[in-house]
Amino acid sequence: MITKKGKPLEKIGLDAAVKIAEKGTHCGMCRIDFLGTGLCPSGKKHGFLAYWPQGRMELVKHLNEGQIKPTAKLLEIANSCTLCGICDKQCNFATQLRPEKVARALKDYVDTLDTKDLQVVPKDDILRGLCEIVGENWATNDPVIIASYVRSIIPPDAELNYYIVMPETTEQVAQIIKFANTKNIPFLPRSGGTALSVATPTILSNATSLEHGIVIDLLRLKKLEVHPESSSAIVGAGVTSFELQNAASKQKLRANVAEAGAHVCANIATTGVVTTWGNAYGCFADNFIDLELVDMEGNIKHHRDIDISNPYTTDHEFTNISLSPSYVITEAAVKLFPVFDDEDAVFVPFDNLEDALDMVLLLGKRGVGLSVAVLSYKYLAEFICPTPQIAKDFEDICKNYIKLRYVVDVICNKDDKKIVEELAEYTIDHAMLKNMILGSPKLASLKESEFMKILAEEQNPLKAIFAGPMRVHFEKGLDASPEQLAKVYDADLQDFFRKVYAKPEMSDVVWLHAFRILPSRLMRQRMTMGPGGAVWAGDKDHILKWVRMFADVGDKYHLEHALGFISPLDAGKFIYIEYDYFYDHNDPEVASRISKTLLETTEKSLVLGGVFTLINYLFKGIYRKEHVLYPLMKGLTKEEQMMFREVLHSILGEFEEW
Amino acid sequence: MVKFLSDEWIALGKQYMLEQLDPEKDMKHITTSILMIIEHVPPHDTTMNFYLELKEGKVNDFTVNTGATFTEKEAVFIIRGNYGTYKDILQGTLGTALALLKNRLALKGSKMEALKIIKPIDGVIESLRKITDEF
Ligand SMILES: Cc1cc2nc3c(=O)[nH]c(=O)nc-3n(C[C@H](O)[C@H](O)[C@H](O)COP(=O)(O)OP(=O)(O)OC[C@H]3O[C@@H](n4cnc5c(N)ncnc54)[C@H](O)[C@@H]3O)c2cc1C
Ligand code: SF4
Repeated sequence: MITKKGKPLEKIGLDAAVKIAEKGTHCGMCRIDFLGTGLCPSGKKHGFLAYWPQGRMELVKHLNEGQIKPTAKLLEIANSCTLCGICDKQCNFATQLRPEKVARALKDYVDTLDTKDLQVVPKDDILRGLCEIVGENWATNDPVIIASYVRSIIPPDAELNYYIVMPETTEQVAQIIKFANTKNIPFLPRSGGTALSVATPTILSNATSLEHGIVIDLLRLKKLEVHPESSSAIVGAGVTSFELQNAASKQKLRANVAEAGAHVCANIATTGVVTTWGNAYGCFADNFIDLELVDMEGNIKHHRDIDISNPYTTDHEFTNISLSPSYVITEAAVKLFPVFDDEDAVFVPFDNLEDALDMVLLLGKRGVGLSVAVLSYKYLAEFICPTPQIAKDFEDICKNYIKLRYVVDVICNKDDKKIVEELAEYTIDHAMLKNMILGSPKLASLKESEFMKILAEEQNPLKAIFAGPMRVHFEKGLDASPEQLAKVYDADLQDFFRKVYAKPEMSDVVWLHAFRILPSRLMRQRMTMGPGGAVWAGDKDHILKWVRMFADVGDKYHLEHALGFISPLDAGKFIYIEYDYFYDHNDPEVASRISKTLLETTEKSLVLGGVFTLINYLFKGIYRKEHVLYPLMKGLTKEEQMMFREVLHSILGEFEEW
Repeated sequence: MVKFLSDEWIALGKQYMLEQLDPEKDMKHITTSILMIIEHVPPHDTTMNFYLELKEGKVNDFTVNTGATFTEKEAVFIIRGNYGTYKDILQGTLGTALALLKNRLALKGSKMEALKIIKPIDGVIESLRKITDEF
């Protein structure tokens, strides 16, 4: 096989391709054009996940294990890849994987097939009905295509008796749901698949995946209109966070969005858009003006409809758990916010959580900043560093040498920046942050260096490095430049990454916070599970107790863990906490420890009381925060605790007690 | 084998519940009433209503009718779902609580109270499961 440039390509077999594919975590970054490369031409044309790099990686595993047999579609999927290499660039930025190698292995494999031996998949009544709704090209029961949805909506060990359908309009979604109901088949919408794939390796898979039936892939609902006059946008269910942010930024506006690959409507439905911008921009129903919804009967509704009985109410108590959406949101009118010319980033470093928490609580209440959060060293390292190894060394330096364990991370205008600087003894400014991004490989390589040893001896290494005489040496030592950074990539990608990192936005901390292209690095080649939730901001001891509980459970199960972020919400009355556990999603033993951690931290949170856990948070995004967060539940009684366990057993199936 | 939701199945179901469920062990002495509405029942896409009343864990009333409305009795809980969901529950591929939390079953009434009686209700389903595997 030959590349476009005429170079022969190294052959790799399916086995080697599977080794790459197994590391994929369905972060979805190969479905957005975040590096200016354009999109995978095959995926863009055919839509179904199997035609995107992410889906191709998934199906190769099932093919290799003999769970699916080659069909004519497999040939089309393999041959639709032009070997353009876009996926290698995108995936490398996020995860360091090479999906193009998998695509090539698939091409080589299909070349060996005899078309006579291909499995023929007959159409049945259900598929005919779906094709009548969406057209022949947009519904399938082909097992090869179905396999590409495993781990991001289909559980890993399911029989592949599913249909995948890609509607283009709200009316088609409504017809599909009505059709599914009359045929008595379950259905579930899929958007970016990130939330679903985070749940899959754990015990939550039972509850969040579709056990059989119709996957409604919403990618084709691509309506996107920005209305600068009303600072709002109309967003179809197929639009990602990145796409909305991109469109809004052209009008000097900004959307409040989750990670770049998440779909905006799915995000509203699932978590109500919890972000570090939440204190300024809002959460839950604050985020939208109106929604177009299809209910579980297939009726099209709007939030504004007079006959929807209070659309914002939800019940309380710990059993208020929804594990699937009660509506499919097909379109949302969302609020946008102004982008100011004087926006800047300022970070305040801390060696302990208590002081960092004090500052974030104060900033939240005073309404300082647009995006405000405490980040742990781990988040910082994962976001900034281009490879997992660099992130690991960077972490080590932060934690053990310079004692940079937490930062209060603020994006704000000039006036607010002054307030932060007055409150803090010293800060990390934007110029230093840029240096830390572009110089992260060099910084990581300083581990165990004389310079770091000297720094570690300082009474206050943070002050010495960010505000003292060592700052100049430090900055010089980082040797920060796109050229240096690009060297950490595979040789054939270095030129590309040099150009990428030379773009101002790639080291512009404000841009990175708004466009959210870095969080996918939390799931590079391994998985993250981030329980947490909301808690009133008034009782600091209670908050710290809650955080300590997450850390203790992480230690108990010998997991790699750290605080993710803490951000104020609702004019500082609440804070949201995410605590992260990291693990190898291909290792069932550690995945089982993650499941126990999830169950145990949820139960302990509920017993502690005064908190709103992640499991209660799910699918509350269409409600008003006032209905969801006030009042918070008291701690469970012994009797309720037993009941909680019973409920968990009956929803999640049998699992080992913790 | 009798067919799920046929007259024979309903009669057998009633008999099973009366004879085989222990008011204390299986039914935890609960007193409640549930209207289960099953939609899209094949072959004519009808709606069936099952009204079950339990007193101190004993079946006090079990009324079944066909039609879009059921006005005879007022139930504490109304659970609505399609035939496919009930079939999955009866076949054991989907738990009742999971069906509720996955919105496969729509509930009218307190979710907290409904989940409290899930265990006994699962017992009823377990007993009904033995009647048939013909759907
Ligand atoms: C690295 C990472 C960072 C994250 N950061 C954030 C964050 O900053 N803020 C935040 O709020 N969340 C965050 N999340 C959580 C989550 O990914 C998002 O909340 C988002 O909702 C997922 O969108 P998706 O398009 O991937 O949804 P999917 O995974 O496709 O779907 C999630 C659920 O929503 C349902 N669903 C999908 N589309 C619709 C629809 N149109 N209407 C109704 N239901 C639908 C699906 O059936 C599924 O149950 C993060 C997750 C990861 C892995
Ligand atoms: S090389 Fe990657 S991005 Fe390009 S067509 Fe193939 S899978 Fe898509």
